[in-house]
Amino acid sequence: MAPRTVAPFGPQHPVLPEPIQLKITYEDEKVVDVVPAIGYGHRGIEKACELNEYPKNIYLCERICGICSCIHGISYCEVVERLWPIDVPPRAKYLRTIWSEMSRTHSHLLWLGLLADAFGFESMFMQFWRIREKVLDLLEMTTGQRVTQSISVVGGVRRDIDDEQKKKCIEVLREVRKESEALINVLANDYTVKARTVGKGVLTKEQAIALGCAGPHLRASGVKEDCRMQGLQAYGDLGFEPIVEKDGDCYARTLVRCRELLQAIDLQLEAFSKMPEGEIAVRPKGNPPANEAVYRAEQPRGEVFYYAKGNGTRNLERLRVRTPTYANIPSLLVMLPGCELPDVPVIVLSIDPCISCTER
Amino acid sequence: MIENIKEIKKDELLAEVKKFADAKARFVTAVCNDLGDKLEVTYFFNMSPGMEMHGLRMTVGKDEEVPSTTGIFLTTVLIENEMKEMFGLKVKDIAIDFGGHMLLAQDSPVTPMLKTGAAGGKGGE
Repeated sequence: MAPRTVAPFGPQHPVLPEPIQLKITYEDEKVVDVVPAIGYGHRGIEKACELNEYPKNIYLCERICGICSCIHGISYCEVVERLWPIDVPPRAKYLRTIWSEMSRTHSHLLWLGLLADAFGFESMFMQFWRIREKVLDLLEMTTGQRVTQSISVVGGVRRDIDDEQKKKCIEVLREVRKESEALINVLANDYTVKARTVGKGVLTKEQAIALGCAGPHLRASGVKEDCRMQGLQAYGDLGFEPIVEKDGDCYARTLVRCRELLQAIDLQLEAFSKMPEGEIAVRPKGNPPANEAVYRAEQPRGEVFYYAKGNGTRNLERLRVRTPTYANIPSLLVMLPGCELPDVPVIVLSIDPCISCTER
Repeated sequence: MIENIKEIKKDELLAEVKKFADAKARFVTAVCNDLGDKLEVTYFFNMSPGMEMHGLRMTVGKDEEVPSTTGIFLTTVLIENEMKEMFGLKVKDIAIDFGGHMLLAQDSPVTPMLKTGAAGGKGGE
C-alpha cells in the first residue's frame, strides 16, 4: 500500500472565491478521504436578526451573500410577509421575479467564467465575465445598485421599472442571450472541457436525494425539483419547467447551468411581456404577529430555506436561513473519495460553493 | 403556521426519520428554537419528487441527550454540529463531530443563540 498523505485544500485556493478547507487524504494521486472544515466567515447574522427590528433585517440578509443578495432580500421579505400574512401586489411579484432571474443570469455567468478559469481557459473566462457586466449594468439601472440592491421591502418592492428601462432591459437581454449561446456552444463541445468534466464527480439520483443536495447540483443527477415549481411570485404565470440532466457528473452540472442561464433570460422577457400595471407595495400594519412561517426560493445555487418566528414585537423571535451550499457540502464527502487529485478543484467548483452563504 | 408538522417524542426520532429515508424524501434542514427551559427542534423534509414539505418536531430539555440522525441522513452532519454549538443541544454520536467549533472559534462566545447567551437581549436593551 502506498503511503497516505494528508494535504489541505484551501482555505485559500485559486478556485475558491471564499474560504473553506478540505482536509484531503490521498494515496499516490487518488483521494481516499476528505473532511471539510468551515468557520472562516461566520458572522452571526441569525443572531443579529433577532436583535434588529424586522425591517432592518432586509439589509442584513442581503449581506449573507454578495452574489445571491437580491434573492436573500426577497426571501426574507416573503417569509416575514407570511407571518401576517400580507398579500403583495401582482406587479411587485413580477418585479421580484424579474430581479431574481436577473440575479440568476449574472450568477451563472460568473460561475461559467470561474469554471473556464479553473481549466486555464482564460479567454472564455473573460468573455463570460464581459457579458455578465451587461447584466450588472441592468441591475444598476433598474435598482440603483450593482451588487446589494436592497430592492425588496416587506409588502412589495422599493422601485418600479418604467417603460424606457423595460425597453432597454429587453434589448440588452436579447443581446446577452445571443452572446451567451455562442459561448455555451464552444464550452459544451470543447474537447478539453469534456475531458475535465465528463464522468468526474458522479452523483447518482439516489445519492443526490439521500445527501439532500439542492439546485443545479441536484437536477444534474436527474431529480426534477426546483422551488420555482411552487408557482410563487410570477412563476405560476410563466409556464416554468425545471431543467434536468441525468448523468450526475461535472459536465451535467455545467449543462444545467448553461441551459438555466438561457431559461432565466427567457423568463425575464416573458415576465416583462406579461407584467400587469398597478401598485408596487402595500404597507404592513402593526408588528409581525406571534406566528411562524417558512419560505423556500430557488437561488442560483439551489434552494434557500427561510424560517421566521414572530412574537408580536418589532423584533423576530428567531430567523433561520439554510443556504444551498450548506446542503451541497456533504455531497463532497461522497464525490471526492476515489477521484484523481487534479480533479478535486473542478469537482469542488461544480457545486458552485458559496461559503459566506453557508456560514452566515 | 407551518403545515405538515408532526409532534414526536425524542425516543421516536430515529424511527420517524427512517420513515422519511425509506420514502426517498430529501432532508432540507432543521431549526432549533430556545423556549426558555427547553429546546424545540424541527426537522424538515422534502417529499421527492415535487416540492411538498413535511416536518418532525420534538421538544427536549436542555440537559437531555438527543440521538444523531447522521446514520440515516449523512447530510444532517452540519446542522447537528451547528445546533450543538449554537444552542448547546446535546447531540450524541454525530458522524463527524467538530467538537463545538464548526463555525465558532476557540475564543467565541459559548452557545450564542440561546436567549441568555452572550449576545442575548433585544435590540436597544
